[in-house]
Amino acid sequence: MSSELESKIASTLGRLENMGEMSDADAVGTVGNADCGDMLRVWIKFKEENGRKVIDRASFQSFGCETAIAAAHLAMALIKGKSPAEALALQGEEFAAELGPLPPTRIHCTQLVEGALRSALSEGQVAPAGATAPARAEPDPPMPGLSDALARNETGTGGVKVVFLKPGETAS
Amino acid sequence: MNPTRSIQTELSGPEAAGITMGRLQEIYPGARRALFKRYHIGGCSSCGFLPDETLAAVLARHQNPPLAEVLAHLVASQEQDVAMEMDPPEAASRMKQGEKVRLLDIRTREEWEATRIPGAEFVNQALVQSLMGAEGRQGLLVFYDHLGKSSLDAAAYFWGHGHENARSLRGGIDAWALQVDPSIPRYRLEASS
Repeated sequence: MSSELESKIASTLGRLENMGEMSDADAVGTVGNADCGDMLRVWIKFKEENGRKVIDRASFQSFGCETAIAAAHLAMALIKGKSPAEALALQGEEFAAELGPLPPTRIHCTQLVEGALRSALSEGQVAPAGATAPARAEPDPPMPGLSDALARNETGTGGVKVVFLKPGETAS
Repeated sequence: MNPTRSIQTELSGPEAAGITMGRLQEIYPGARRALFKRYHIGGCSSCGFLPDETLAAVLARHQNPPLAEVLAHLVASQEQDVAMEMDPPEAASRMKQGEKVRLLDIRTREEWEATRIPGAEFVNQALVQSLMGAEGRQGLLVFYDHLGKSSLDAAAYFWGHGHENARSLRGGIDAWALQVDPSIPRYRLEASS
């Protein structure tokens, strides 16, 4: 990673905002690859402005790499005040424009942001302005580190057998 | 041995480039997380690595960042991880003094049903979502597993989302049984048939 890009990412991460669940969101979108660890979820709250519905607030959770987190942070600010259609028209590279050109291995970080927004703003996900957050039937996204534990805890078993130690035995 | 000193020793000098990823993860279990966070290395089949690959070979496949920079990042990450750990006696002492401490169990359901630390909570998706909100910012969050190997990932996840009150119980429930509460049975795991 170039030092300039690294510096811009570090600068962005140093002023992170809009992280975490939004309890009164009107729309929620999740996208990502659990195996790769790039999981992103966004929450969006709308408001009425001059007769049109626009994005009032947006927040996110991610356990992706620093580039994905920085891009998500920038995207949350970028879509504020835009209508769903205007936000959907944004391209992945626009979200991370402030970071400058990204190396090929990081392009999918911005695509992740685009995908999460598309998931949240696509037809059927967006409730009317002023409505409470829609109840989601889909499972919550798995997360690296926690993903295995959570997945097996949801399904019931971890496929292991607990054998209590006798005196002198070791646990590992 | 101090884990930070251990990783500093092994990652200093020119031979560090030849360290295998398996050995790297042995001396620093959080190495994969640290490499992924900064360099996008080790997350999936396309950016992953094998235990017998050398660090130099893996870096070469990922735009070859300067070895010295990567090593410094690993050492710094290890130091951050150490700061996120808490010894069982300290957690027990703080609970005894009335501090709000939530013990969060990320083990399998079989382990949870076999034995647990009194007052602990079994972590599932619903609890994680709850902890991510305002509720999780109140009091100390202490994640634990069997031996303290993966609870650091859980603590790091919450730490990374602004929960500076997230900690990992050093040595897991096994260390708790040895250092705090001998009434908790110790165990080992076998694959269920």
